[in-house]
Amino acid sequence: MKVKVMKFGGTSVASSEARAECGKRVISAKEQGYRPVAVVSAIGRKGAPYATDSLIKLLTDIDATVDPDARELDLMIACGEILSASIFAHTLKTMGHSSMSFRGGQAGIRTDGVYGNARIKDIDPRAVLKALNANCIPVICGFQGTYQTPDKLPGAELTTLGRGGSDTTAAAIGAALKPYADEVIVEIFTDVDGVKTADPDCVKNAPTLRKVTYDEVAEIAHLGAKVVHPRAAEIAMQFDIPLWVKNTFSDDVGTEIVPVERFPGRRVTGVTHTGKLVYLQFDLTSAPEADRAFLESTLFGLMAQNSLNLYMLILSPSGTGFAVPRAQFPIVMGILNGLVIPTGSGTLYLLQVGNEASREVETQAALMRPLGMTRRITAELTEGCSMVSLVGHEYMQQPGVYLDVLEALYKAQIPVLQTCDSEYSLSCLVPESEANRAVRELHDRFDLAKTV
Amino acid sequence: MDQHTKFEKPRGVSAISIRHGYAQAHLSGWGKDRAAKRLETVRAITDAKISVDFVKLTPSGMSFLVPDAQSEALQGVLDRLGDHFSIRRPCSMVIAHAVNIRDEEGLVARIMKAAIDGGFLVQHISDMHDRALLVVDTAEAEQLAAHIEAELREATHES
Repeated sequence: MKVKVMKFGGTSVASSEARAECGKRVISAKEQGYRPVAVVSAIGRKGAPYATDSLIKLLTDIDATVDPDARELDLMIACGEILSASIFAHTLKTMGHSSMSFRGGQAGIRTDGVYGNARIKDIDPRAVLKALNANCIPVICGFQGTYQTPDKLPGAELTTLGRGGSDTTAAAIGAALKPYADEVIVEIFTDVDGVKTADPDCVKNAPTLRKVTYDEVAEIAHLGAKVVHPRAAEIAMQFDIPLWVKNTFSDDVGTEIVPVERFPGRRVTGVTHTGKLVYLQFDLTSAPEADRAFLESTLFGLMAQNSLNLYMLILSPSGTGFAVPRAQFPIVMGILNGLVIPTGSGTLYLLQVGNEASREVETQAALMRPLGMTRRITAELTEGCSMVSLVGHEYMQQPGVYLDVLEALYKAQIPVLQTCDSEYSLSCLVPESEANRAVRELHDRFDLAKTV
Repeated sequence: MDQHTKFEKPRGVSAISIRHGYAQAHLSGWGKDRAAKRLETVRAITDAKISVDFVKLTPSGMSFLVPDAQSEALQGVLDRLGDHFSIRRPCSMVIAHAVNIRDEEGLVARIMKAAIDGGFLVQHISDMHDRALLVVDTAEAEQLAAHIEAELREATHES
């Protein structure tokens, strides 16, 4: 049995015409001798009636001041994929092919119990195999699974897989079917021709890469390329499954993702950008050496305690710093601005976020004045930042790459607030308003328009 | 046939590794036009064929790592530039590996806190999507790795 798992994203299933196009691709795979398995996302993108954000709004509209529980959110947003799968299965039936839709749990996908960001633990593919053996096309809801609670209550809990969940579903289903098939291919259908050297909204002439390694695609996906999720690439790599990214609406051959043994990778793969971040730099020069470690530990401890995600860390003799997602910034502000940190030395430190003291900070300062031994720590605040990354293949270790990046951005008068790098990438934190221009500058500097 | 297949990597820190053989440079005292000064410095280092890693920008300069074998050459370059600098060597990098570490709520901060609370003098830190890096004197590296492993294992058991 040859199996082709075909994942269709939100735009690919957004209208009856688009779904018919997807249906033709599924039927074509069947005619070529494959047993197709479809995995679908929720219908449409942001704002569409059954898209994830619209479903969440049904809950938040009840009372905007009360956050819905993660469990309820999962149950609600999973409806988007359930609708989509049922509609697509019926579409296939109207096109003359037997089809059955499956919720994630019905397809045997078992996850851990983290609502909203669950990870797949195992898959029991018997129901999917039964459908395939009956010459029926399974249509599986992407992005979801079930969690069996320790007390084994009936029905299990519905969980969602977080960002890129439908890609992850497709790769995992491919891996689960591999022991029963002679060949398994996973195809991710989207609205662009494949993996590109940059976001085409940003760089119009960004070429499509015909072949990339799993490592390359995982790196660019982690750093912002939205075309395939890194978890999917990692599963495909682990189980050695051929992975393709294709355009639902064009006949372009797409991008093949292969192991490094089949393709050596290229000097620079692409330029990505991601994130709406806020950057904070804490000036600890007012603190004597004896208090420094305690202050740093307190800052990181508070971030850990409040489950905040940190990026672009720095620790230097003058202080420490990090970026946080903009969505988490109000929490950071609430914790840190006006925070009083007493130390063993008897000094009280008052934390001020931003160059101008808020009323809270001034009130605290006035209350602390009679106590003496108070010092103020200011965190320089840069709101509206993005991370722009150059992704390559060990080339990043060569002397001169960092210079080329800095020089290109300096000449374009784009400020670089912070950097971080690995064997495969070099990321710069830049003002969000300059992120697209930074991507274009680096794309030009490294001549990526000529990449194939 | 076993019909269950193990899939994604588990959450949290999956491994801790150590890389030896680095020197850490810290440059400071730069004035207002830091971007130009940064470029001039990086150009001089590049011209000397020295590979810089894990560059961090500070409010008055920058910090980075070079292979320890190139620390003398770096010293020569920085002497010529006339900057205020220090080079600390030998240094080692302790790397905590965790898939999607930046999406694992609070994990990066937990690693940093564990290192600082352990009494280690962390010279330099960095992060990528799958790892957090801490640079310490080579003599402390093994201890730091063991400490992070123990602390995070305990934290995982607690949660």
